[in-house]
Amino acid sequence: MANMNLYSRGDKVFVRLNMVLITVFALLTLYPFIYIAAVSFSNGSAAAAGTVFWRPIGLTISAYDYVISEPLFWSSYKNTFIYTFGGTFVSMLIIVPGAYALSKPQLLGRRYFNLFVAFTMWFNAGLIPFFLNMRDLGLMDSYFGLIIAFACNAFNIILLRNFFEAIPKSFEEAARMDGANEFQVLWKVYLPLSKPALATIILFCMVARWNGFFWAMVLLKDEQKIPVQVYLRQVIATLSDDEEFGQSLLNQGYSVETVTAAIMVCSIIPVLIFYPFIQKYFNKGIMLGGVKE
Amino acid sequence: MSDLSENILPATQNRTLSQRLTWLVDHLKREWQIYVMLLPVIIWFIVFLYKPMYGLQVAFKDYSIFRGVAGSPWIGFEHFETLIYSDQFGRALRNTFMISMLSLCFGFPVPIFLALMFNEITHHVFKRTAQTIVYLPHFISTVIIAGIVITAFSPSAGIVNMVLGWFGVEPIYFLIKPEWFRPIFIGSGIWQEAGFSSIVFLAAIAGVNPSLYESAVIDGASRWQMMWKITLPSILPTIIIMLIIRIGNLLEVGFELIILLYQPATFETADVINTFIYRQGIQGAQYDLAAAAGLFNAVIAFILVMTANTIARRYSNTSLW
Amino acid sequence: MRKSTILAAALLSTSMTAPAFADGHLRIVDEPVEFTVHLHNKRYHYDSNWPVEQKARQDTNVHLIGATFGTNTPSSQEAHNLMLASGDIPHIVGGDKIKDMVNEYGPQGAFVPLNDLIAEHAPNIKAFFDKYPEKMAAVSSFDGNLYYIPYLPDGKYGRAYWMRRDWLDAVGMDVPSDVNELYEVLTAFRNQDPNGNGLKDEVPFFARQWPEVLRLVTLWGGRSSGSDTYHDFLIDDGRIAHGYAGEGYREGIKNIHKWYEEGLIDAEVFTRGSSAREFLLSENLGGMTHDWFASTSGYNPKLKDKIPGFNLEVIVPPASISGKRIAEHRRIPVKPDGWAISHTNPDPVTTIKYFDYYFTEEGRRAANFGIEGTHYDMVDGKPIFKKEFMEAGPVNSQLYQVGSQVQRGYFQDFGYEIQWTNPSAVKGIELYDAGDYLIDQFLGVAFNEEEQGVYDKNWSQIRTYMLEKQQAWILGGGIEAEWDDYMATLDKMGFNDVLAAMQSAYDRQYGG
Repeated sequence: MANMNLYSRGDKVFVRLNMVLITVFALLTLYPFIYIAAVSFSNGSAAAAGTVFWRPIGLTISAYDYVISEPLFWSSYKNTFIYTFGGTFVSMLIIVPGAYALSKPQLLGRRYFNLFVAFTMWFNAGLIPFFLNMRDLGLMDSYFGLIIAFACNAFNIILLRNFFEAIPKSFEEAARMDGANEFQVLWKVYLPLSKPALATIILFCMVARWNGFFWAMVLLKDEQKIPVQVYLRQVIATLSDDEEFGQSLLNQGYSVETVTAAIMVCSIIPVLIFYPFIQKYFNKGIMLGGVKE
Repeated sequence: MSDLSENILPATQNRTLSQRLTWLVDHLKREWQIYVMLLPVIIWFIVFLYKPMYGLQVAFKDYSIFRGVAGSPWIGFEHFETLIYSDQFGRALRNTFMISMLSLCFGFPVPIFLALMFNEITHHVFKRTAQTIVYLPHFISTVIIAGIVITAFSPSAGIVNMVLGWFGVEPIYFLIKPEWFRPIFIGSGIWQEAGFSSIVFLAAIAGVNPSLYESAVIDGASRWQMMWKITLPSILPTIIIMLIIRIGNLLEVGFELIILLYQPATFETADVINTFIYRQGIQGAQYDLAAAAGLFNAVIAFILVMTANTIARRYSNTSLW
Repeated sequence: MRKSTILAAALLSTSMTAPAFADGHLRIVDEPVEFTVHLHNKRYHYDSNWPVEQKARQDTNVHLIGATFGTNTPSSQEAHNLMLASGDIPHIVGGDKIKDMVNEYGPQGAFVPLNDLIAEHAPNIKAFFDKYPEKMAAVSSFDGNLYYIPYLPDGKYGRAYWMRRDWLDAVGMDVPSDVNELYEVLTAFRNQDPNGNGLKDEVPFFARQWPEVLRLVTLWGGRSSGSDTYHDFLIDDGRIAHGYAGEGYREGIKNIHKWYEEGLIDAEVFTRGSSAREFLLSENLGGMTHDWFASTSGYNPKLKDKIPGFNLEVIVPPASISGKRIAEHRRIPVKPDGWAISHTNPDPVTTIKYFDYYFTEEGRRAANFGIEGTHYDMVDGKPIFKKEFMEAGPVNSQLYQVGSQVQRGYFQDFGYEIQWTNPSAVKGIELYDAGDYLIDQFLGVAFNEEEQGVYDKNWSQIRTYMLEKQQAWILGGGIEAEWDDYMATLDKMGFNDVLAAMQSAYDRQYGG
């Protein structure tokens, strides 16, 4: 589709304007990352004074030194991977068949099942009842507990269902004529045709797990099981100055701001690395690469 | 429509009970696989989300953590009265709606346009790099985003006032002026979330059949026309679903960012329901009051969603349920 | 690294100096007794391996087993609430800000009232509260019972006025002795370029938290807060009042607005945030502030190279228009932190005796200084920290790892802090001590249900209204014209009802 010779003059202006606007927006959205990267390499006093804007002031790696030398950082990093990949895998196991089933017009009570799922987007039980439920189920302080208890959410199910509904019925009918049952239709027809949709849901699941910290903090007792976002908050709590006593760490070259920034940078880097792998599924024509009929 | 329609429950007014039961058994024999696929989801929702919902009662009780939900006494609508009869609650409600509506008008389309614009970029590397960059602020904590915004709008060191200075405008102390709060807040929200939110639409666009474009090119359509006549209509179902969900979130307005950016001087336009509740509950863990507020939000949101959903169902093929 | 060497040294030293059965005068029970304990703070939770815990075991034969809930969350409120919700309440519950929880759920039966237990079994605690009955009253619940033994800080001073002496020299003026002279000094700071760079960029008065600017109302006879929480009520001769409804406040805000307009107060004070002090001092832009003794005193050594002649010193509070000098801010003498006995405790009598241990001379010393011989030595009857210990890092953080200065119920000893307080802070404290500038403090009230209802219904909105008007008046003026309307609105919003509710609770609690 990229034969620009076929573009009219209006189109060419349109394309150039487009690129300018995207560039501007990209620069604006790049800034926060540049900022925290700069802070993470800055001297603690400069960061505390708020004088860092886009480049490090008083270049130092003492923040990273502090972070890397703490074994809890590494174990929490490992745990984040466990929760992210394990969690997403379990999520997909439940969400994909569920969304498929909900997209089928012949499902009895389909409207009510959809409502049943959607209702939870607005009505939730609250912190303490949810917590007590976890305790009663015996899911406290375990990898499995954290993975299973947050495996689904209504938004992802509805989104995937919506994508499934958009797939033309002709593909399914062709497979049925060959005698496929529902599982086979899902596996052989829908999944290959839904790569962008699946990529999106997988991405959302992974991002939610990667950033999640609240329930991990509350449900986990063993500090060896905490993910990196919880570790980050503990570091902030430990390093923030005790107002009354004024014993600051500014003499050590790092400060709560630079260490926080360093941990944040470390948690964004894997996202930057993995995203391109998912990105290729957002290209057009993926659907044609699926079923040939 | 398709020949699968025989599996859909037909009009049954004239059938007897045994005829309906026979039909049901046949249906289940034919379609059992779908129900099996649905089962894990339903069980999960019951076990993790519906089972604890008894906790919603707390909104009507004088909740004591020690006594538990069952042991706490009922007080009916007292919490709701405390909320609603407060003078400042009306203002908070109004601000919540105002900010939400503005956010919907200005913030909702941005991810869609972003996705459409990305779609028109032909330079692969540029496209991929830009796509990766624009969602980054989503991963940066709100505290940092707020800090950047405050600095950017500062009268002495901020870039906004610096640029204004080139045009001869005196520095403005933006963050204490009520009239500037909403634009700054909504703008910050767009900046932080538009990139990540555009991913859904990117995926939808990627699912559009390329042969549609090919035929349009042969017919001599321009890229601009193709965007309006092919791409947009094709992703309309996704847009509708996202819009309905967004309408459902009308009462949730980025609480953390508001707390970080607002000042007593801007409460007039900045104080929303959740910040109002937060200040109310500062004297202790008032779970019951928070639950009442949450329920209040949820009921209103749900009514809005039901309305939007019904409209969507009537005029298009897409709806939440 | 350091943690384990100190631990090893502690164990070694206690085993060397203390034979299997010590002199026993502190022993509470003959056979060892165990209690589970939840003690939560964002930086630590109860650790049975603490050297201080080990010593307490040796001395009293009571063993505390750490069973803290929510060890991974820094939010103590959450940890306490979830512990309570889970129903598995350890025998002893303590940590950060437990007061509201024990005072609310104590009357419901979750915690054991301590009054009788103290009277009969805890002689040291009893002696303390006999000496300071108002401290016990301050943290009792509305039913008159005491439900926790509080952490009782010993330091008095919190924040002070600090001024750049080098700037005073640059503009040729003396330390201002009253509010008018202060005005002149700040004006000189603003106009006479004391930082010498030719730009009018000086920020004469700044603050890290903008409510500190409100302290200035004391210079016109007003008050900003009666406790160490901002915007709080105050106590004046047994009557509850609020600073933001006083005549002195009216005069004060009027003048603060004038000073703000003239650039004497940081134009961005509301949004500059916690980096204000660091930024304005290190960029040589800040002239005067109101901030903590301890942490602000660190700037002289820190900036002496970067800014030649830099000299930030404590000054006594300038006299108000009526000639009074007030230091409005001070540390509260009784904190909402401490520990309590929960209803699951099988032996409250032994527990209260154990709590009492920390009010004995030895127990108190352990809770404050650590282990003798390891962390401190007795010199002329006073505990003095070892030099290597003080130089190894921030003293407080090190003490937390040992089990000292943690939020159990104990009486602090300022002697521990003064040893590592910066000399210029010490000097400042002595200055303030000499002048006796501290005033009565509002220590809070415990409401019964009716009073709580009035407070909950009205106060949050009243305070919001007060703050909105306040900021508007500081930024844009107009307090004179709007004052009467303001007072009328406050009354309409139920302000006087709230005052009455607080007064009733106060009279009941502190004996009128």
